[in-house]
Amino acid sequence: MSGAVVTAEAVARRSWLKPSISRERRWALWVSYIVLIFFAIGFLAPPYFELITALKTSQQLGSGKDPWFTAHPYFGNFIGIITNPDFQTFFLNTVKVTIIVVALTLVMSILAAYALARMRFFGSQVFATGVFLTYLVPESLLFIPLFKVLSFLHLINSTWCLVLIWPTLSVPFCTWIMIGYFSSIPKELDEAAMIDGASHLQMLWKIFIPVALPGIIAATIFAFTVCWGDFLYPLAYLFTGKQMVLTAGIVSDLIHGDVLDWGHIMAANVVASAPPVIIYAFLMDYYIAGLTAGATKG
Amino acid sequence: MKRLRSVSRRDALKLAAVGAALPLVHMRTAHAAGSLKVALWDHWVPAANPVMQKLVADWGAKNKVDISIDLLQSGTVNAKILLAPAAESLAGTGHDIMTFQDWGVQQYHQHLEPIDDVMGGLIKQYGAIDKVAEYLGKADGHWRGVPTSVGSQYKPSCARISWFKKAGYDVQQWYPNAPGNAKTAAAWTYETMLKLAPAAQKAGMPFGLGLGLTTDSVDWTGAFLAANGAQLVDAKGNMQLRSDAVQKALEYMQKLYPYLPADSVTYDDASNNKALISGQSALIFNPPSAWWVARRDAPKVAEDCWTFPSPNGTAGRLNPYLPFFWGVWSFSPNKTAAKELISWLQQREQVETLCDASVGYDIPPFASMHDFKIWAEVKPPVGTVYNYPIRPWHDTQSNIAGYPAPPRIAVQLYNNATFNVMVVKLAKNKQKMKDVLDWAENEISGYINM
Amino acid sequence: MADGTTGISAGALHGFAPSARRSGLARFARRRSTIAVLMCLPLIALIAGLVVYPFFYSIYLSMLNRDATRFIGLFNYRYLLRSDTFHLVIFQSCFFAITAVFFKALIGFVLAHVMHNISGRGQRIWRGLLLIPWVIPPALSTLGFWWMLSGNYSALNWILAQFGIPQVAWLSNTWTARLWVAAVNVWYGTPFFMIMYLATLKSVPDQLYEAAAIDGATWLQKIRYISLPMLRNIISITVLFSLIVTFANFDIVQILTSGAPADTTHVFATYAFQLGIQGGNISLGAAVSLFIFPILAVFSIFILRGVGRRAREAQ
Repeated sequence: MSGAVVTAEAVARRSWLKPSISRERRWALWVSYIVLIFFAIGFLAPPYFELITALKTSQQLGSGKDPWFTAHPYFGNFIGIITNPDFQTFFLNTVKVTIIVVALTLVMSILAAYALARMRFFGSQVFATGVFLTYLVPESLLFIPLFKVLSFLHLINSTWCLVLIWPTLSVPFCTWIMIGYFSSIPKELDEAAMIDGASHLQMLWKIFIPVALPGIIAATIFAFTVCWGDFLYPLAYLFTGKQMVLTAGIVSDLIHGDVLDWGHIMAANVVASAPPVIIYAFLMDYYIAGLTAGATKG
Repeated sequence: MKRLRSVSRRDALKLAAVGAALPLVHMRTAHAAGSLKVALWDHWVPAANPVMQKLVADWGAKNKVDISIDLLQSGTVNAKILLAPAAESLAGTGHDIMTFQDWGVQQYHQHLEPIDDVMGGLIKQYGAIDKVAEYLGKADGHWRGVPTSVGSQYKPSCARISWFKKAGYDVQQWYPNAPGNAKTAAAWTYETMLKLAPAAQKAGMPFGLGLGLTTDSVDWTGAFLAANGAQLVDAKGNMQLRSDAVQKALEYMQKLYPYLPADSVTYDDASNNKALISGQSALIFNPPSAWWVARRDAPKVAEDCWTFPSPNGTAGRLNPYLPFFWGVWSFSPNKTAAKELISWLQQREQVETLCDASVGYDIPPFASMHDFKIWAEVKPPVGTVYNYPIRPWHDTQSNIAGYPAPPRIAVQLYNNATFNVMVVKLAKNKQKMKDVLDWAENEISGYINM
Repeated sequence: MADGTTGISAGALHGFAPSARRSGLARFARRRSTIAVLMCLPLIALIAGLVVYPFFYSIYLSMLNRDATRFIGLFNYRYLLRSDTFHLVIFQSCFFAITAVFFKALIGFVLAHVMHNISGRGQRIWRGLLLIPWVIPPALSTLGFWWMLSGNYSALNWILAQFGIPQVAWLSNTWTARLWVAAVNVWYGTPFFMIMYLATLKSVPDQLYEAAAIDGATWLQKIRYISLPMLRNIISITVLFSLIVTFANFDIVQILTSGAPADTTHVFATYAFQLGIQGGNISLGAAVSLFIFPILAVFSIFILRGVGRRAREAQ
């Protein structure tokens, strides 16, 4: 499906290659680039600043001079972070838990979305809206009563508690994406499969999932980003270094009372931000295509 | 257990009564075994945590107790030291020994085991305990938390020697690094501080005194209020907001405010550190953490630092004090071992070892322990933190903002930084005194009725 | 589950569309709904156990006294409603959420259109670059902003100093602090809006724009008569979703200002943290957090009603 979009896009765009390009088109293009450059500077200045800070020694940072560039980049902060066994543990924990949660999210939201999009049952419309409305109860409210729930399950101070509660952040929105996407799949496909004697699960597996792959990738990326960047839940429930994940771990290991290790903090930021950026770079097209179909049904 | 069955009940009671009278540390009970889960403060001095962990592990090995340690951070962003007690009190399970910061014991006292036996023994051994520590550690007439040295800190003056010399005052003569007397520091008052503030600002080194909502800012203004005889709420729980002393205090702050850094109203706990280390402040109220980082990152600044008590007010000289406590949860399965461990860690020998490891940052709650060698040895310059602990001739006491109001009211005054908010409304937002006082009265009566 | 569908006539399978044949369908419908419910079960269990139950427990918690020993009904709520500071918190949360969401939607909309004009491969690069703020964990990027904006080493002030502009204490003046808190949120959230709108724009047929161009429409008219109507649904959904999430935001405010100066940047989540966790009055903290719920419910009803109405009109 994304292939079709690209082709149509290319055809539409090639029109500007014609010699008789209208002045308005060229003007629009210039304006577009200016706007893009302006916002690119605004968006990328902070990460750039973090990178430069990470390349300085604490003495250089303490003096407060030249915050935006460094003549002699200092790689010690990065080396220190990457070779720090605690940081490695945080990184591996985050990878482990995020992958598990993303998988769980996909299973739960695909099943639920299929049921809600295709199988009308009593209250399914209300339920579909209700799923979306779970976001009305935010983390900052839930984390206190969840103390009780999680300690009852003996999950406090264990990375596995995140496997249980992170899906609450990702599943509702992913379900909504998948509902939109599944709704856009023509019903004739279902009926043809049913006539051939397929069960619901077979239909789901053989037809819906392959066709809805871009939507699934969109949901994957959303779930991944949300879990990777979550801060409050890990902060509240994880106490031991071995159990921590990146966001809470960086803040816990590198900030003690009123002593902050800025160079290392920024280096850790950069390293911790790398995986989502890389994943996005590879899967961006699918994400856009996935949201296209899902969004219009919203 | 078997032994008791063969002894008469009266004898058993007698044995228990005798045992309770002895300091706990001398009692080798048959019950000190099993396992312990301990939550300790994560010390920012890198060398301090391993020393503590080794001490605890050695004790565990000697007494055949399996100990696991978790470290909790304190800070605005990663306030585990606040989240952990909240979580465990709600959940009813968790560690055996928990560390509490300042008001924590008061906040969770119904879940904490009375610990009068340990405290009784320690007070007998080491003398009087700090008044503020007692105020914070006792609830309903019983000790619920043992004040510890680890993490406990004063926030006295930390000044740049050379700048003060240029202004005509020799801080090293006020408080030399040798036994002295209180008269040499007679010039160090809040009036002097106000007089010097404009000069400091002109020199590009304004006094880094925060008016934010975090502990550093609240602690120093609380000590300032108490040192000048002002209270927002008195010990009986009555509002004293409209007293002369409070009025004078607010007027002082109005006069001082223009000479503070522009961002003083959003100072967090790290801001005054940054100000000192960058060489852009002549005075902060802070424990030696700022000096310690300057020693590594800005040696020239560190060599020029001198730590000494807070200024004198009309009602006395008070150092802001932020104590930490160790408590035993009432749901702990191994209270005996927990109490024994705490008692052992509070012995002078262990306290000194831990103090040395923290480069003199930790302040023991017993005045008799304020004579460790570490404070005389730390350098550069030699004697820079000699006057950090309260010495007998300092004529100084400790204070926490909100004292002596009833703790449940004082903790709200402290956490909501009520006085600081009043000062900001008055001095920065230029609201009328009457409006500010009315607002404060509304707030504080809410705290009293809470 | 699979065997439930084997012995069923082909005609009954057309139950996706409303059918008049109810005789054998009744049993099938029941079976299908069982399967459907089973498929939804993990989701239902998750929400019931980890959202609904804690939500009701926190309502109960908010009606206890400070020590959690006595039931005091609505005392905490009455206390909050009488507190001036809490009025400030309500205003600030609304200001923060509405301003931030407005700009996120506006800038996202503009960027989506601008991006749509750029050709294939170039667009991919720009898309990637402009997405970066959203993929960095917000807690960590806010630390970077704090370092950039605050105190002695403010990097932003350094730039101003190069141009001879006097320094500003960005986070220490009430309104600049509020604006920066909103700005950081806009920085973080705009890429999400941009991507959602761009995706929807791609499904708008180009012929519509070309036809309008032939008819002599200006770019403003094109946006007003083509883009906006086509995007109305996605705009509603993203605005609602973002309002909900921004209202409850904790990380950004806590790390940037923690409510200072003088409580003028407090939002619900940070004020709940100050009262509940720092102040030790967990019940009061729960009461503060619960205030978010009715406000968001009102927003949701309005916006979802609009979406539902348009969906019905479209059918």
